[in-house]
Amino acid sequence: MKVAVIIRQVPDVVEELVIAEDGRSLSEDDVMYITNELDDHALEQALILKGRHGAHVAAYGIGGSEARDALATSVAKGAEEAVYVPLEFKDRGDNHKLAMHLASLLRDGGFDLILSGMQAADQVDGSLGGLLASHLSMPYVGGLVGVDMPPGGGKATVKKEYPGGRIGVMDVTSPAVLGIQSSEQPPRYVPVSKVMQAKKTLQVKELKTPVPGVAGVHITQLQKPEAGARAKMLEGDEAKVAAGIAGLLKERGLL
Amino acid sequence: MSPGGIVVVAEHLRGELADITLEMLACGRELADASGSGLICVVLTSDPGPFKALPFASNKTIIVKDPILGAFNPEAYTKVLSHLLKDLSPRLVLMGSTSIGMDLAGSLSVALGATTVGNCTRIELEGGKVLVTSKLYGGKLTARSEVEQGMVLCVLMSGSYPKEGGTKNVVPEVEIRDSPVPLTGLRIQFRELVEPDAADVDLTKVPVLVGAGRGVQGADNVKALTELAELLGGAVCATRPVVDQGWLPRTRQVGRSGAIVKPRLYLALGISGAPEHVEGMKDSELIIAVNTDPDAPIFDVAQYGTTLDVQDLIPALTEKVKELKGGA
Repeated sequence: MKVAVIIRQVPDVVEELVIAEDGRSLSEDDVMYITNELDDHALEQALILKGRHGAHVAAYGIGGSEARDALATSVAKGAEEAVYVPLEFKDRGDNHKLAMHLASLLRDGGFDLILSGMQAADQVDGSLGGLLASHLSMPYVGGLVGVDMPPGGGKATVKKEYPGGRIGVMDVTSPAVLGIQSSEQPPRYVPVSKVMQAKKTLQVKELKTPVPGVAGVHITQLQKPEAGARAKMLEGDEAKVAAGIAGLLKERGLL
Repeated sequence: MSPGGIVVVAEHLRGELADITLEMLACGRELADASGSGLICVVLTSDPGPFKALPFASNKTIIVKDPILGAFNPEAYTKVLSHLLKDLSPRLVLMGSTSIGMDLAGSLSVALGATTVGNCTRIELEGGKVLVTSKLYGGKLTARSEVEQGMVLCVLMSGSYPKEGGTKNVVPEVEIRDSPVPLTGLRIQFRELVEPDAADVDLTKVPVLVGAGRGVQGADNVKALTELAELLGGAVCATRPVVDQGWLPRTRQVGRSGAIVKPRLYLALGISGAPEHVEGMKDSELIIAVNTDPDAPIFDVAQYGTTLDVQDLIPALTEKVKELKGGA
């Protein structure tokens, strides 16, 4: 069984996001990157399949040079193959473009399953998986919280999450693209020393081909949400803020 | 339908209509009235029964029935909708930013050559252009985009339009059709729908919820939150990432795929306020948020907030609550 996992580098939303002078994109110099959280879950799900059935896992790292670090981490966690797909800053977050690009790179890979996170913090135009599957003429289902497949391939059994915690169970004939919401177990931890070791011996295949010129959505303006109903901030040290909160609770009959 | 109209793709599970459908109809009604175009609600099902007498705010309801459409199947839905939408040729198609709508947006976009805009919170039609406001970067920024021509698929976030606007007092014209394409040779087969495990606590009935976000930083710290929640006569709940990390069980999840809660007090601790979580708790009577990031979107829905560290504040708050309770 061969499984490809798409691992995107996205702006870390915990950090301050600075809007560029053009008013419609982020200031590239100020962005701190992290691996898209749901892609991390996709990798974990692929590694769970490897643990169960000995799947061959190929990690496709998308983005700038940070993607190489993410690939080292993926290999340290257990991926067999590391492929770097450089993507310029201006092209990121546009899943129409990325899907078309990845389709041409993955088409002849012989993968039974292609896993990606069902969404990313920087996307504005629909899930990558659905677009990619359409270009590859493969079936797609997303929002998954579990995937299994017999060792010989054929049909994957997936668990799809619906509101209220209901789960839909489906069979998907491979090859297929699957959008992961969360892996069956939390993404595994790998010690920094192991990542550093992987980095030393890492063999990365770089796929540097031109990105298609199509565009999903044209953003005309990027802005912070209009301040209107912002919270009233409680100032002071822990004791003062605790007293303030307790006072509010008392006032409303909650204590 | 004349080209240029608006179509809403209804969502339902086990014959129950999802609220997002009414919110999309409210959005569609507003746009149809402002632009003088028609609004059609499309329902895919095996049983038209529960849907044919609903007073939707659409001008017309088209129900496509087929035994395969008894449960959501992204492949079957895509086949039917790409056929139907090609035929109806609307300017705007509304789908929910849900596990169902998000499955369809990509494949329909490619099949119909339509532009797709995700995480939509506001849609306007202006001089032939579709203007869309979307949430980006976990709700920290807002993106405005414009689509000048062609079909546009907008994936609407829950809570963006009032669901009351999705109904009126008459039942619109209803047309029941068979699937326009044979639903055979599908590569996806639906097997079963599994109900969630019974919860130890019904989060929707608890007056006080102490919500744990990633800022809580570990399963060990959840214990202190449980003590505080119990002192306040409530329970601990969590965001999706906290549950995914295994710090709390799935039954404690609040948000899009967990419980939708409206307690008297929601204490949001180390929660950034990603749209998926906010959908589940924004209607709480009182929201107090604790997050070290002053730009965290949670402060947009909270009435009160502080940027102190959760770990520093909780012991002080627990002591203060004990003191006040003791003196009561």
